[in-house]
Amino acid sequence: MTRLLQFSCVLTLVGLALMVWSMLVPTPMPVILAMSVGQLLGTVAFGMFGYVVLVDQLRTQLRKHRAKIAARAARELANDASDKASPKASS
Amino acid sequence: MSSDPFLVFALGCAALSVGLLIGYLIVRPKLSRATKLVLLFGIGLLPLGTAANGNVAGYHATKTRTFCSSCHVMTPFGDDSSNPGSTSLAARHGRNEAFGDENCYTCHADYGMFGTIATKLGGMRHVYEYALHFHQLTVDEALPRIHIRNPFPNATCMRCHSTEVPGWQRIGDHRSLLDRLRAGTVSCASEGCHGPAHPFARVAHIRAEQAAAASAAREETSP
Repeated sequence: MTRLLQFSCVLTLVGLALMVWSMLVPTPMPVILAMSVGQLLGTVAFGMFGYVVLVDQLRTQLRKHRAKIAARAARELANDASDKASPKASS
Repeated sequence: MSSDPFLVFALGCAALSVGLLIGYLIVRPKLSRATKLVLLFGIGLLPLGTAANGNVAGYHATKTRTFCSSCHVMTPFGDDSSNPGSTSLAARHGRNEAFGDENCYTCHADYGMFGTIATKLGGMRHVYEYALHFHQLTVDEALPRIHIRNPFPNATCMRCHSTEVPGWQRIGDHRSLLDRLRAGTVSCASEGCHGPAHPFARVAHIRAEQAAAASAAREETSP
């Protein structure tokens, strides 16, 4: 995921370079490249960033969910153990 | 160009974005909420600001005479229309403040709701033609081959010269041709009227036609 994010940063830098080139040298080729390739690279990079953030968010939620389940299971196990240890108290 | 606020904003956004991204690539921090926020600006919002404002700045740039004459075969057209000593129709309009540095676009733009889009698509055709057919030619070789795709519409002239004012109608030729001018069946830029906007190109066309006719005649007479 880190690699993908770094690649996304590099793509953004390339896209920005094309856009800045078109603004500093406004001749047909730089302008066409900036408005096509430059913006495509920027869009792809942003899509990759969105993907990384989404996957990271899902993983975090999954981890929390698993931790919650594990905590509940541990609590239930602890309750069972205490019930077995003192049957009179439970009855 | 540097005073264009869109350009300044676009360059500012790009500079900030580059700073954030290079910082991230050097430091390589853990993907925390703060890092995500920084990257949202670095990869998303600031480049979006650059692209949006860059598009507007680019659109402004594509309307300028320097942009139009940046392809070498268009240089004589740009040079003539910016020449204060030239008496061509293009130069006389180029000296008008209302046309100024955007005189090519002002006259060659299409109108209507989708006029700008149609003009820009036409511009893409110019790029295609230049890349495939004109790029390798010298200016002298290219001039006889450069021609306007569709006849220049009188509606373009009539945006400013409405044909309604008494001063315009006082001229006999205008008065007698009024209906045909408005209908576009007689061009304002006809020979004998206001003439071609770029007369040197017309001269190059005539010379090329004469040369072709002479060589055809030579071939016919040779055994």
